[in-house]
Amino acid sequence: MKGKYITYGMILFLVAIGLESCTEIVEIELDSTYRRLVVYGEITSDSVHHQVELSSSSDYFLNEPAPKVSGALVELEFDKGLITLEENDTLPGVYLTPDAFRGVPGETYRLNISHVDMDEDGEDEFYHAESTIPGGLLLDSINLTYFKTPFTSGYQVLMYALDPPSREWYNFKLWKNSDLLADTLIKYLVQSDDFFNGIYIFGLPVGFLSDEDPREALLEGDTVTLELNSIDQNYYNFVVDAQLEISGNNPLFSGPPANVRSNIKEGGQGVFTAFSIQRISCLAPPPPQ
Amino acid sequence: MLLLVFISFSFRSSAKVIISGYVRDAATGEELIGANVAILETGVGTNTNTYGYYAFSLDPGFYTLVYSYVGFVSVTRLIQLGEDMSINIELEESLLELEEVTVTAEAGNANITRLETGSTQLPIQSIRKIPALLGEVDVIKAIQLLPGVSVTSEGSSGFSVRGGSSDQNLILLDEATVYNASHLMGFFSVFNNDAIKDVKLYKGDIPASSGGRLSSLLDIRMKDGNNKEFRATGGIGTISSRLTLEGPLFSEKVSFLLSGRRTYADLFLPFAKDTAVQDNSLFFYDLNGKLNWTINEKNRIFLSGYYGKDVFANDFAGMYFGNRTFSFRWNHLFSKRLFSNFTLVNSHYFYDLGTPDGSTPYFNWLSYLDDYGFKGDFIWYAAPEHTFKYGLSSFYHIIKPGMISVSDQNGNDINSELDDNRALENGLYFSGESRVSEKFSLRYGLRYSMFYNIGPATVLEYNEDYEVIDSTHYQEGEFYNMYHGLEPRLAAIYLLNDRSSIKASYSRTRQYLQMASNSSAGTPLDIWFPASPNIQPQISDQVSGGYFRNFYDNKFETSVELYYKKMTNSIDFRDHAQLMLNPRLEGELRIGEATSYGAEFFIKYDISKFSGWVSYTYSKTIRDIPEINEGIPYAAPYDKPHDLAIVFNYEASKRISLAANWIYSAGIPFTLPAGRYEILGNILPVYTGRNEYRLPDYHRLDLSLTIRGKNKPGRRWQGEWNFSVYNAYGRKNVWTLDFVQDDTDPNLTYAEMTYLFSVIPAITYNFKF
Repeated sequence: MKGKYITYGMILFLVAIGLESCTEIVEIELDSTYRRLVVYGEITSDSVHHQVELSSSSDYFLNEPAPKVSGALVELEFDKGLITLEENDTLPGVYLTPDAFRGVPGETYRLNISHVDMDEDGEDEFYHAESTIPGGLLLDSINLTYFKTPFTSGYQVLMYALDPPSREWYNFKLWKNSDLLADTLIKYLVQSDDFFNGIYIFGLPVGFLSDEDPREALLEGDTVTLELNSIDQNYYNFVVDAQLEISGNNPLFSGPPANVRSNIKEGGQGVFTAFSIQRISCLAPPPPQ
Repeated sequence: MLLLVFISFSFRSSAKVIISGYVRDAATGEELIGANVAILETGVGTNTNTYGYYAFSLDPGFYTLVYSYVGFVSVTRLIQLGEDMSINIELEESLLELEEVTVTAEAGNANITRLETGSTQLPIQSIRKIPALLGEVDVIKAIQLLPGVSVTSEGSSGFSVRGGSSDQNLILLDEATVYNASHLMGFFSVFNNDAIKDVKLYKGDIPASSGGRLSSLLDIRMKDGNNKEFRATGGIGTISSRLTLEGPLFSEKVSFLLSGRRTYADLFLPFAKDTAVQDNSLFFYDLNGKLNWTINEKNRIFLSGYYGKDVFANDFAGMYFGNRTFSFRWNHLFSKRLFSNFTLVNSHYFYDLGTPDGSTPYFNWLSYLDDYGFKGDFIWYAAPEHTFKYGLSSFYHIIKPGMISVSDQNGNDINSELDDNRALENGLYFSGESRVSEKFSLRYGLRYSMFYNIGPATVLEYNEDYEVIDSTHYQEGEFYNMYHGLEPRLAAIYLLNDRSSIKASYSRTRQYLQMASNSSAGTPLDIWFPASPNIQPQISDQVSGGYFRNFYDNKFETSVELYYKKMTNSIDFRDHAQLMLNPRLEGELRIGEATSYGAEFFIKYDISKFSGWVSYTYSKTIRDIPEINEGIPYAAPYDKPHDLAIVFNYEASKRISLAANWIYSAGIPFTLPAGRYEILGNILPVYTGRNEYRLPDYHRLDLSLTIRGKNKPGRRWQGEWNFSVYNAYGRKNVWTLDFVQDDTDPNLTYAEMTYLFSVIPAITYNFKF
């Protein structure tokens, strides 16, 4: 937030003196690097068929969908047993648990991936990762506050909850009716409890629904749902790093670009995560006068 | 220390007598810093100190003294020395038509004879001639044109000296530390040129009297205030106006200076097309004030202060940041041989952002840093061949890294703050300058620095994965950690003849406070943090040597200097470090070594109507930090192998002058992707190493034309118009390079560069009366 604020100040200054910084698309030649296995897998406390997606990294200017990795042996290991995920017939590279089940807070899930040969040396590689579902906080309620500035207007969603004494990480996702608004990494709002550890949280801003975006703009009676994911530190690190990379370089704020941290061992990229989900809703009030 | 004072006080070489005094500007009464005083008969020379004072001890006899200073007419005095004598000299500023006949050759070879390596003094008159962004003459931007100094990012007030980070520069304004020298995101520095007298940069051989930073000392002195007559100086520029008032108070013994500057770029915002932009405030202002009182020949006091603030606000949110410095100094002559100065200083830097007071919901984030310090410095002119300096300093630092207050519409509050950092930094030093033979001189110094962390504090203990495993709490006032060490400094000069010399130096510096910043431009929100049980002080060892040669009666001053610098306990930050509001900030640090070496070529010329300089630096700076870049050494963020600046000024006539500078440098190191992958529809890059590539080369031409009004006898008002163009040929220098995922076709990615400035013209009217 503060980064955007200062950048905005700089842009304002350039506007004020009759200038604007300019952008231009440039041709640039980039080097290549070896292929890496890319994993994205989620185990949640919802009762669903959990899925793991496998793909391959590519040259930067591939300009095609990422190549999928098929035919892998994908296994999920946890206290109660071992499940083999099956590759979806119509969606190559997507591996699903055969049955719907519920991830349990406190349980550690381990993902094993074999029968893949990314470096094409004729020998299979083995990748693995693990994640434990955190306990999470005690969700109390949410409410909406209308916010209007010259730049934007809309509803701020405030959360009321009791944070446990342990160190926790959260991902706040908003739904408007049945539409998941936080449907891409850059829209995730992840936060650690560093500034409210172990206390009752009075009205933490967990999202903003802008009047200008038709998907977000609220009408009276719309249902706003906060989906609170209690995530582990690895996933938090992954989302923070990914967001920094997606939002681009700004010499005022950005450190040097760097690879997004991954918990996939033995050279994989991406993330495998297990988290709990809590949901709470409220109704949009009549429009402000 | 007391013993030293005692010895210096009681020491008298019986046969010698003392000649001492001040060198001043005849027009304003301002003391001239670093003016050259030479005795032709002995070949001995000295420079006035930062208070304009000089002293020699000599055998009785007849001597010819030559007083000189860049841009001023030299004065020669024949004296018969029988007993101690004071000679205060006033030098007249050289006018163009007089210059060629009266400036003597001896005056111009100070760069050859001065016992300093890697230092450059820039009188403010020279800085004013350089074309500047939007016509705002800027001390820091002038410094960036010197060899060994590079700008950290386009338009930034940050600078890197010999490969060091921008927080490794000690910036002093009348002895008070300036922690953030930037206004308006770095486009302007905090130094108002009308209030500045002198700027001196030490790149390698930092005097033993200063410490606490690894790379450089930028010593900026404010004017004392004209003690002869009341004067006003000012300017009306494209984005700001300035006004400085100075003059004597009651008598010549007391003078004052008051200087103010305010930008008004936001006056144009109401004309912006975007309505959201129209109601914003965006400006900064500076106030400089100084009072000095010459009580008598032996005592003089100075009070100086600076206050500057940036404001960026609207009805809903605001951000404010600024510096305040205050220094009280007392010059005292214990004897003509023993000059002393005692200083009390306070520096303050703060930033504050959030919603206006009383608003709901309310949010505020405040951070500040305070320094309280004392310094005592002595200069003992023991003998013509030997001058000694010694002293002590003590600084108490309080850093408030961040306080957050949040309140919802029901008045429920969440307040949180990061622990304060408190520390005490002490220094003791002794240094001397000795003329071993007619051709060989030495400067030697030893500084002993001590650093203490003071409670209350909670110190976190980290494991090898930088996870917190324990914490220890310390009580208020408890000294819970200490670092100390010696910092030797040594410099030597060998005069080959009066036109050339060889110089060499070694210096060790230690740094106990550093800035949490890993971006290239830096922001007002960067915080400083101290050495601690988890962070060892940074240490730099530098050797440098140079050959200095003047040509054509010193009209061309040239030099080649080589340096090699090794920095240990060097700090960098892990990939994607979170440096703001992070209670585990120390866990984001990664420690290693850095090496920097280079060659600096400098040609300064002053021929008839032409003046300026050419500086070229070849350099390399490598960081070797085991836990960054998989342990592979990488280029430091400011590493620019080639850095060239050509500064040119042409006095076409008494009324018209033209100036230009052209800057060329290799692009800064950059990290480019070599591959990509896709997660949840987002394309993420794969990098193969940090800073493996470079942005395109940087170059820029700036021009300016100054037309002065007619100077009629008896008319006090003097005006001049300055027309300038920044980036005259509109080079699109890459500020940053982004890799963007296309909105409509998410599989498509392209590279997009951002450049800040195209051609920027500006007009300024300056006046004096």
